[in-house]
Amino acid sequence: MAQIDMRNVQKFFGANQVLKDLDLTIEDGEFVVMLGQSGGGKTTALRAIAGLETVTSGQILIDGVEMQGKKAADRDIAFVFQSFSLYPHMTVRENISFPLRAVRMGAADREKAVNEVAEVLQITEHLDNKPSALSGGDMQRVAIGRALVRRPKALLMDEPLGVLDAKLREQMRAEIKRLHIARGSTSVYVTHDQVEAMSLADRIVILHDGVLQQVGAPEEVYLHPTNAFVAKFVGSPVMNINAASFAGVNGQSSVLIGGAETGFHFPEQMINHVRNTGQPVSLGVRPEAVILSHEAKEGYLAAQTSNIEPLGSHDIVDVLIGETVLRARTESGYVAREGQQVFVNIDPAQAHFFDGATGLNLRGAN
Amino acid sequence: MAGVQTSAEKWTNRTAIAAVFVALIIMLTPIYWIAATAFKPRNLATTIPPTVVYEPTVAPFVKLFTKRSQLREQPTQEEYDNAPWWEQMVFDGGEKVVRNRKSGEVRSSGYGDRFKNSLIVSVISTILAVGMGTLTAYGFSRFKVAGEDDWLFFILSTRMLPPVVVAIPMFLMYRVVGLNDTHMGLIILYTAFNLSFAVWIMKGFIDEIPREYEEAALVDGYTRIQAFFKVVLPEALTGMAATAVFCFITAWNEYAFALIMTNRNAQTAPPYIPSQVGSGLPDWTVIAAGTFLFLIPVAIFTFLLRNHLLRGMSFGAIRK
Repeated sequence: MAQIDMRNVQKFFGANQVLKDLDLTIEDGEFVVMLGQSGGGKTTALRAIAGLETVTSGQILIDGVEMQGKKAADRDIAFVFQSFSLYPHMTVRENISFPLRAVRMGAADREKAVNEVAEVLQITEHLDNKPSALSGGDMQRVAIGRALVRRPKALLMDEPLGVLDAKLREQMRAEIKRLHIARGSTSVYVTHDQVEAMSLADRIVILHDGVLQQVGAPEEVYLHPTNAFVAKFVGSPVMNINAASFAGVNGQSSVLIGGAETGFHFPEQMINHVRNTGQPVSLGVRPEAVILSHEAKEGYLAAQTSNIEPLGSHDIVDVLIGETVLRARTESGYVAREGQQVFVNIDPAQAHFFDGATGLNLRGAN
Repeated sequence: MAGVQTSAEKWTNRTAIAAVFVALIIMLTPIYWIAATAFKPRNLATTIPPTVVYEPTVAPFVKLFTKRSQLREQPTQEEYDNAPWWEQMVFDGGEKVVRNRKSGEVRSSGYGDRFKNSLIVSVISTILAVGMGTLTAYGFSRFKVAGEDDWLFFILSTRMLPPVVVAIPMFLMYRVVGLNDTHMGLIILYTAFNLSFAVWIMKGFIDEIPREYEEAALVDGYTRIQAFFKVVLPEALTGMAATAVFCFITAWNEYAFALIMTNRNAQTAPPYIPSQVGSGLPDWTVIAAGTFLFLIPVAIFTFLLRNHLLRGMSFGAIRK
C-alpha cells in the first residue's frame, strides 16, 4: 500500500514532449484511472511510475521516497501489461511465482502464495497449463495474479482489458473492481475507454497531449468537465458542442447555435458572464439534456429528425436545426422515422459554455 | 476431415506429388552416388555404365584411415594369412599399410585428425558466433544505439566481399601474428565470418520477442541481465538454433580459407579430401568414403535441432 506523488513531471522523447508538468497525488488505497486518447501520455506516465521510463525532469515519490534513479525492480510495484506478457515457456504456476523467485522466497511459502492468489482469481485448475492453453480472460487473470502475488505497494495496469472482447471486458471489469475492494491496493489503471474509467475509478485523471486536463470523481468529471476536451471525451454518445451566439428577444435572452435564426431561451443570470466576455463561445449539451417534442411549445425550435440509432433501452436521434446536428437521447420509438418534424429544446441547467479559443468551461467563471 | 475431392483436385494433388518425387530424385542422386561409391570395390567405382548391384565393402574406409604405399612385390602367403582382415583388404587393392619401422604400429592417414579439426573449429566458432551474435542483436534490438542503421550496415558489409579477395592479405597478416595453421586462427576467421550473419538473423528473432516480457521481469524484481537469461533467452532459442545450423554448415563446409591458412596442424577435412586425388591414381572410393563421413555431422546436427527450426515463435501467449 502506498501513496504515489508526481511533481512537475516532464518527459521528452527527443524534441517531442509527452508529459507536461504533470502534478498528481494518488492516495493510499485509491483506484485512479488515467483516461485519454492514445498518444496522450497516460501510458508514459504509468511507465514512469513503474520505472520502465525515465523522466526528463520532476519527481516521482512512492510513500514519500524519491524514485529518481531507482530501478523498476527496487520500486516494489507491479505492472499488468495490455498484452498480458505471460512467459510462454513457463507454466501458469511458474509465471505467477516468477516475482517470488526474484526475492528468493522459499518453495513452501511460494507455493502457498501462488495457491492463495490462484484461488482468489479462480485459476487454480489452470496452474499446470502453459499460458497458450488459456482463454483471453484467464490469461489476464494470470497476469493480474502475477502482479498481486508479491503484495506490491501499488498495482499499475496498462489497458489490461484492451484486447478482450466486449462481453469478457465487462466481466473482467467487475472482477478487477471486486479485487480492488477486497485487497484495497493502490491501483493506477490506464485506459482510453471512458466507460471503464467511469465504472472503476475512485478518481479519473484525464490527460491530453501530455497535459493534465482534469482530476475528479467520475460524476464530477461527467457533470462538471473543465473544458471541451473532457466534455467530449467523457460520456457516450458524445456531448453536442456547437459554436453559439447570443440574442435578446422580447426581453428574454436566447442562445443561437449554427446558422439558426431563433435560439434557446436561457435565464439571464446563466449567460451574462459568458456573453459579457465578447469572446466566441460554444454551447455544450449532452444528448440527455436535449428534449424533443412532437408538438410546438413555447421556447422549442422546429427541427428535422435524421439518423436514428435504436439502442433498446433508448434511442439516439440526430435532429437537424438548420444545418446543425444535435444528438438527442429519447425513449425508444419516440421518433418513428427520419425526416420527421420535431420540436427541440435544451435543459439550461445541464448546458455548458466553452471558450471558443481555449475550450475552457466558462460556467466556473461566475 | 478431408472433404470430397473433385477430380481436378485429385489431379492437382497427383501432379504435385509427382513433381516432389522428381525433385527428390534429382537432389538425392548425388548423395546416393557418394554413399554407393564409398562402399564399392575400387574396380567397380568408375565403370561405365555404373555398377548398381555389387557386394558392399568397407575397404574404402580402411584405406581412408590408414597410410598406404604401393606394393612393389606381392606379399607372401604367410604374410597375407597373418595380416588382420583390414590389412588383407589393403593387400587386395595392390597396396600395403605403412607401419612404423620401430614399433610396427600402423600409421594412420591424416583424415581422422582433419575430421577432428573440422569438428573443433566448426563447433567452437558456431558457439562463439551465435553467442556474440545474440548479445549484439539484443543490444541493437532493445537499446538506442547511436547510428544503429550504419552499424548494422557495416556489420553486413563484412559479408559483401568475396572471401577469396581478402585471402592473400589475410594470409600475410596471419603469418605475421602467428595464427597460420592454428585452430585459433580458423576459429577467429569463421566466427568473424558468421558473426554478421548471426547478428542480422538474431536481431530479426529478438525484435519479435515483445519487450513487455523483459519489462514484466524488470518490474517483478529482476535485473536486466537476469531478465535476459530467464525470459529473452528461452524465447530466442528457436532463432539461435536456426542461426547455429547455418553457422555450423558455413564453417563446416568452408574450403578456401582452410586451404590457404592451414596445412598440417589445423587443416580441416574439406581441403584434405580433394588433396588425396593428387597422390597417385585417384582412388574414388576413398574420396567417396571421406565425403560420406563428412556429410554425417551436419545431418545429425540439423536433425537434432529440427524441432526448434520448425517451431513457431511464441505460441500466441501474447495478445496483439
